[in-house]
Amino acid sequence: MVEKLWFLIPEMIVFGGAVLVSVLGLSKRKVIRDALPIVAGGSLLAALIVTPMLYDAEHVAAANLLMGNLGLYVKVVVCGIGILLVMMNTGLIDRRLESAVAAGRAKFDPISATRGEFFAFLLLSLTGLMLCSNANDLIWLFLALELTSLPTYVMVAMSRGSKKAQEAAVKYFFLGALSAAIFLYGFALLYGASGTIVLTEMRDVFARQADFGDVSNLAIVGMILSILGISFKIAAAPMHFYAPDVYQGAAAAVAAFLAFVPKFAGLLALMLLLSTIGWENHYRFTEIGLPPALQITLWIIAVLTMTLGNVGALLQTSIKRILAYSSIAHSGYMLIGILAGPGLGMSAVLFYMLAYGLMNTAAFAVLAGLERSGREIETLDDLAGLRQRHPLMAGVMVVSALSLIGFPPLLGFWGKLYLFIAGIEAGHILLVVIAGLNSAISAWYYLGLVKMPMLEQPSARAETVVRGPSLWPRVAGLITAAAVIVVPLFTRNLLKASDAAVADEQVFVTPDTDDSQQLASRK
Amino acid sequence: MIDALMNLSLGQHAAAPFTVLTLSHYLLLSAALFVLGLLGFLTRRNMIVMFLCTELMFQAAAIAMIAFGRYHMDVSGQVFVIFILTIAAAEAALALALVVLLYRRKETLNADAWSELREPAGE
Repeated sequence: MVEKLWFLIPEMIVFGGAVLVSVLGLSKRKVIRDALPIVAGGSLLAALIVTPMLYDAEHVAAANLLMGNLGLYVKVVVCGIGILLVMMNTGLIDRRLESAVAAGRAKFDPISATRGEFFAFLLLSLTGLMLCSNANDLIWLFLALELTSLPTYVMVAMSRGSKKAQEAAVKYFFLGALSAAIFLYGFALLYGASGTIVLTEMRDVFARQADFGDVSNLAIVGMILSILGISFKIAAAPMHFYAPDVYQGAAAAVAAFLAFVPKFAGLLALMLLLSTIGWENHYRFTEIGLPPALQITLWIIAVLTMTLGNVGALLQTSIKRILAYSSIAHSGYMLIGILAGPGLGMSAVLFYMLAYGLMNTAAFAVLAGLERSGREIETLDDLAGLRQRHPLMAGVMVVSALSLIGFPPLLGFWGKLYLFIAGIEAGHILLVVIAGLNSAISAWYYLGLVKMPMLEQPSARAETVVRGPSLWPRVAGLITAAAVIVVPLFTRNLLKASDAAVADEQVFVTPDTDDSQQLASRK
Repeated sequence: MIDALMNLSLGQHAAAPFTVLTLSHYLLLSAALFVLGLLGFLTRRNMIVMFLCTELMFQAAAIAMIAFGRYHMDVSGQVFVIFILTIAAAEAALALALVVLLYRRKETLNADAWSELREPAGE
């Protein structure tokens, strides 16, 4: 147990940051309250620095996790993008209260100040995501997923004072609770089918069942329920329909958070759960591979998700809704990697998650950094002729939209390339063809995001778009856009890192006599 | 359907006489609760009732966990249930806070009263 705690040091640091931030948020001094994002970002930076020091072969072997090295890649990526998300959320909360206090119209009252809680929730959610990568039993995985999700419901409600944000929060919460109940029931069935909640042991049980014929049907049903429940977290069909409403209702900076954090957590959970049943040539499952029922389920979900996402985005006028549908579509692409399995498939998913996190954050940063008559810009018209008034933001929007299409040589292109290669290698040719067609459809609406700021003349409405009060969302936009251009130079290194993250530490073990005796006694 | 599943996966127990409570009876109960919760969630529009329906589904999973734990003579199923209760309590706190927040705005618990966010119609 102590070996497992060793890897939790980054989570503890971020959790400590969350506690600190929530206390400091009550301070009467504005200087301290203004420093909250710095404290939050600082704790993430500390976790980012500490993480690589923790992962050495000895400790990884001692912890005996399902995927021992997964945490290294995941935590570094999450802390890095987490810092950018903190920057984007700077200046979002308590704006009215702060300006009223500054103008002398109100006195500071800790009860109406919510900035401390907001950043604490943000850090807690990131903690949950990081915990997902270490999960080695169903309880841990369940708690980590819930820790990722529960704070996001509050963040949506807090993000704007408007009715829309509250409606979004309630929709998000109710569907979230429903999905949690569904995958929890799936977990119960998985436990029933295997008799253990520890994922590594569960894998051995399923492997033995496979040796004696087939993995039990109960496990398959449990797995399908888990997949359906988790598809809410990654915004995949059939639980995707909340995404446009919720992203539209939440502030842009929080929407960027929703598009990255729960999605990453859901994908990690899918990877861990599916590797207990296994793919072809994975662990002991040398021949059977993923059971056909699961393959078909994932295949249908992938096709539905990418198609519904891309078709849904075509007729939208709100940029947030477009980005929400694009978030759905990208989940569909990533499911190809999940279907392809360990090796290239999963490392392509991890790489794509980094790419998607950067390019999607860049797009939302433009919305968070600009405003029109005191509100975030939202419709496509607001972007018209952005090039003339805010050239840098126009540039960020263009870079991120091109990258989301998968325009070479930007980051999104490499991400998609590896996913498609993984899909073809695993024999899912038809799926990759459908994904390719979908990418072509997606070019239609992404190019709208390129055309509006660059080619159109500014309308009277767009003339009134001004910079937002805080500098930091725009800085985050510039950094992410620069990263989308520069990071492809390091694709090889990143792929090596993500390969190492999913490499199976466990060597192939033949079922020896001990095993079969245990099995006999179990029966 | 659960009966058939149990027959396939766990064998002999499902065939026990009705007077003896076996695993499959507990699983039937939990499946019934789960389906009731799901149907209630989909058909009811009162936000508190909808939330209670998700709680019902959580408890269905908890019953299945305990039944399986007993079946496998393994304590971890019961441990899981304690954590399920904790999470359910956390969700209840959150749900009631959100519902109160919304009730203050519109003085109704009907979920359909909140439909400002939707697809743009006929554009």
